[in-house]
Amino acid sequence: MNVQDLAQTFGALADPTRVAIVATLAHGDATVKELTEPFDLTQQAVSRHLKVLEEAGLVSRRVAAQARPATLEVDRLIEVLAWIDEQRRGWLDRHSRLEEHLRRLTKDER
Amino acid sequence: MSEYPTDENFTIRYIHPAPRALVFACLTTPEHLTHFWGPAGMHTPVQNIVVDLRPGGAFETTMVNNHSGDEHTMRAVYVKVDAPAFLSWRETDSGVLTELTFVDRSDGTTEVITTQRGLPPEMRTPAARAGWGTALERAADYIASIATKESAS
Repeated sequence: MNVQDLAQTFGALADPTRVAIVATLAHGDATVKELTEPFDLTQQAVSRHLKVLEEAGLVSRRVAAQARPATLEVDRLIEVLAWIDEQRRGWLDRHSRLEEHLRRLTKDER
Repeated sequence: MSEYPTDENFTIRYIHPAPRALVFACLTTPEHLTHFWGPAGMHTPVQNIVVDLRPGGAFETTMVNNHSGDEHTMRAVYVKVDAPAFLSWRETDSGVLTELTFVDRSDGTTEVITTQRGLPPEMRTPAARAGWGTALERAADYIASIATKESAS
């Protein structure tokens, strides 16, 4: 997975409606029509959001007659979220070690 | 360097038991950094740390695995340096931007606000897969409940 791909993934998830669509697809595949109802969006708007998610590799479209239901590529999403979480924990650990270091320093001064 | 369409990964606020100038010095001096830079299971010898503290200057750390001796180098360039209040650097491999804001709390302590923006250099498949799946399920339930309320009204 290269940086350009990931830029697209992050970009796709920067929109709250698209995050909500992703969360809905986590429940199971859905067609454009099924996605218009909970979000009060037109079919065109849903299609546009799905296209962005598809280009980011977060959603794939199955050809099933005319409906082409959207499927969430959950592994992809998980990779991104897990990486962020790992970075965040790394910084928390670093700050906790820095705090210990500062306590040692200020103790030495007394 | 491409413009990232989205921004923040996370923000961490941490209060340190020391005055602002000392906390800033710890994060910008190899002799201090070597004591805490980490990460866990690794150490960063003082001679492995390059700090050229000015915009465009190098910030490089080579961490050594405590057991295997494997090395990992983080190469970055300082973006903004405003001692002792603000510091940011961008990693050259990934473009990840780290920003540190140092707030003097006027009681001998300093709050450091760490924000990370941008993208990973590589992706690993985490063991936390199941946990995230649950988070997505909860999000889906929440949205379904909102949708039900809205259609009922």
